[in-house]
Amino acid sequence: MTVPPGATSSPPASSPTSTADVRDIVGEAIAHKTPVRIVGRGTWLNAGRPVEAVRQVSLDGLSGIVDYTPGDLTLTARAGTTLAEIARATADHGQWLALEPWGGDAGSLGATAATATAGPMSGALGTPRDTVIGIEVVAGSGKLVRGGGRVVKNVAGFDLTRLMVGAWGTLGILTEVSVRLRGLPEQEATLALPVPNAPAPLAEFVTRLRSAPIAPLGLEIVSGRLAARLGLGQQAVVVARLAGNTDAVTAQRAALGGLGDVLEVPDGVWTAIRTAEPAEATVVRFSSTVARFHEVWLAADRLATAGDGYAHASVLRSSARVVLAHNDGALPDGVLELLRGATRDTRIFERLPAPLWPVLAPSRATDRLSTGVRAAFDPHHLLNPGILGEAHA
Amino acid sequence: MTHAADLADRLTEIVGPRGVLRRAGELVVYRSDGLPGYSKQPRLAVFPRTRDELVAVVRLLADQRVPFVPRGAGTGLSGGALADDVVLVGLNRLTRILSIDPVERLAVVEPGVVNVALTRAATPYGLHYAPDPSSQAACTIGGNVAENAGGPHCLKYGVTLNHVRAITAILPDGEIVRLGNAEGEVEGYDLLGAFIGSEGCFGIALDVTVKLSPNPQAIRTLLADFTSVDAAARATSEIIASGILPAALEMMDAATIRAVEASIYAAGYPVDAEAILLIEVDGLEAGLEADVARVEAMCSAAGARTVRVARDDAERARLWQGRKKAFGAMGRVSSHLVVQDAVIPRTRLPDILAAIREIAERQRITVCNVFHAGDGNLHPNIGYDANDPDEQARVHAAMREIMAACVAAGGTITGEHGIGLDKLDYMSLIFSEDSLAAMCRLREVFDPARRANPGKVVPVHSCREWHGAPRAAWSA
Repeated sequence: MTVPPGATSSPPASSPTSTADVRDIVGEAIAHKTPVRIVGRGTWLNAGRPVEAVRQVSLDGLSGIVDYTPGDLTLTARAGTTLAEIARATADHGQWLALEPWGGDAGSLGATAATATAGPMSGALGTPRDTVIGIEVVAGSGKLVRGGGRVVKNVAGFDLTRLMVGAWGTLGILTEVSVRLRGLPEQEATLALPVPNAPAPLAEFVTRLRSAPIAPLGLEIVSGRLAARLGLGQQAVVVARLAGNTDAVTAQRAALGGLGDVLEVPDGVWTAIRTAEPAEATVVRFSSTVARFHEVWLAADRLATAGDGYAHASVLRSSARVVLAHNDGALPDGVLELLRGATRDTRIFERLPAPLWPVLAPSRATDRLSTGVRAAFDPHHLLNPGILGEAHA
Repeated sequence: MTHAADLADRLTEIVGPRGVLRRAGELVVYRSDGLPGYSKQPRLAVFPRTRDELVAVVRLLADQRVPFVPRGAGTGLSGGALADDVVLVGLNRLTRILSIDPVERLAVVEPGVVNVALTRAATPYGLHYAPDPSSQAACTIGGNVAENAGGPHCLKYGVTLNHVRAITAILPDGEIVRLGNAEGEVEGYDLLGAFIGSEGCFGIALDVTVKLSPNPQAIRTLLADFTSVDAAARATSEIIASGILPAALEMMDAATIRAVEASIYAAGYPVDAEAILLIEVDGLEAGLEADVARVEAMCSAAGARTVRVARDDAERARLWQGRKKAFGAMGRVSSHLVVQDAVIPRTRLPDILAAIREIAERQRITVCNVFHAGDGNLHPNIGYDANDPDEQARVHAAMREIMAACVAAGGTITGEHGIGLDKLDYMSLIFSEDSLAAMCRLREVFDPARRANPGKVVPVHSCREWHGAPRAAWSA
């Protein structure tokens, strides 16, 4: 029974509760040549990615913090552990896992690492690539493999950790993940200020923002439509997350005040931005150079408007995301064209209606090294086949 | 079979007569790197001056199926750049900074650019290259990429991996590939991440695009002086757990302090201290004094006799020079020095330092500790006389015990120096056979013929179908 792309029914699921269970499941998949789809907590929506699998492996039973010594500022948890559980445990010690990816804290650590999903803090605090320090994984070969460790610096051996982060489960099923933590800032403040919408004033504004004496954890432009949903008015604004001790926050607040009329915003706005996306959506990310950032933002905003969605962009990462609330492939007139060619910058399709995958997002993992890596770790092509948009038998 | 003289002639056609070394006497200098105790002589050494020459050299070696070892400045501390009867490819003549873009804060460099030369070139723009290994005055960016090098300031700013955006590499078979994306994000497998830290086994970087970091608005450098190593270790743990993230947090013990103070790098460290911490906090000017005050208070509470803040840039530079040249200063203590490298969880610092002391006493060896305390990256350094076989045996035994203690504490066998030759035997302390075999598989993706830096990083027995590291088949 192969599930066609875009089908809503799920294949039969198994719920391993231990690494040994995961090994059994992969062993069985190898024996019967039955492809599996790997699911964390199931919150990361199906993303429309056209996986063909006859069995679903849900990791919500493989959950719990394995090791957390606060003084080390590192934590190891089973892959299915929710980000919320980690946030609770670390907050008790004045620490946090500074990932805060799109989609909220109901998602799992394993899925966050596997998809390398970053959020609005990633420009300042890094992505899973920078934060994950070790992994345990059952490779598609059935072997149990460990990379990295539980310490913050480690160059022992070839870097299997980096290879697994962002591989979308196509090389192995993550069973355990170790991460570095940070101390929670003494104080935080979130401010919003209006953003010009004409190209030249916008470019100038962004330049002034970049050179201001601030060290924000997040600096996110949100389009008028998203601003309205967040209760920040009807126009595009930039939302800044300031942090540090009292003196540092006070000085940064004053510096931002020099750039426009600032509005104090509750800190909860960051969670609201991360969870604003509808369960079924088309999400495209455009990343650009610093010099072209303002153009990319304006193009993203136009695309969002045409597609009846919203856009937001990280000034620190020079990267914009467009969220369209369509997941049936029936995008409004002209939007498909815009998706194809909105800018000449790097386009990454995070989520798409299943029928559009082959149209818009042919796999980028087709070069000799990528196919070699896939064959080395998942020789039978059983793990999440198709999830990278790759053609397969 | 390859005739060495014929190969040397063909290499000379590519790089000119001054770019090839073929006589044993000339090759002696390439027998070792920064780590004493190993000596391997290359059969030939070749030094391309341009990218085109490098490409031609690698393709010729591929054509002739000759194994090779890439080498930057040879400052590595794991024997990783030693070529055992194969061809050494020296990259230290590829020293051009191809571009610096102050708007994008990116630089594109050839692999032989010296680490500090890049920072010097970025200085007019208020930028610097953040990874700062102690050897930064000599080591190259290509070598830093190969080792995923760190340095004191990677505590806050991250290691080489966190600062490289893209690499154009030539694979051992001569194919040129682009890894990463200098102009945006990447999806798909993190091949760039896999390449960084691959110790020259996956290919050679032709150019490297690195991030340049803005110089911090303000910097304060503190020197805290303790009467026991234990108190300094406790202060370190306190600071790290407090949530303040210093730019650097370094520890030096009494033996190191005295060696530095007796040398031309004397930095004004208190010679009667059992340990000092060199702590740097940086960032926005606003709020920095409050952080400095907290750090001072934590040091005092842990038992520091004094905590002083460098008054100006000159004093700050002097304090840092003592730290960065400490390995050199130890040359006064003994003829040979093993600079070791291991990482432990930071709460374990006090007990592991005590364990190292116990091992040193029992094995009757001298260990000096100068290391990146803030991220738990130890450098226990052992001075010895390589001409004394008994002492050498005791040094070896002590090393193994120290590594085992670090691993037992939940740590790892190298934080920034790499495995090279030196740590092959320790790999099985932390990785299972299946994990090591997975690393072999990954290497084969980049280098199916495994001709690049043969015999390094992963023990040969872990790669089941391998029959020893490939060697060159030289004909007489």
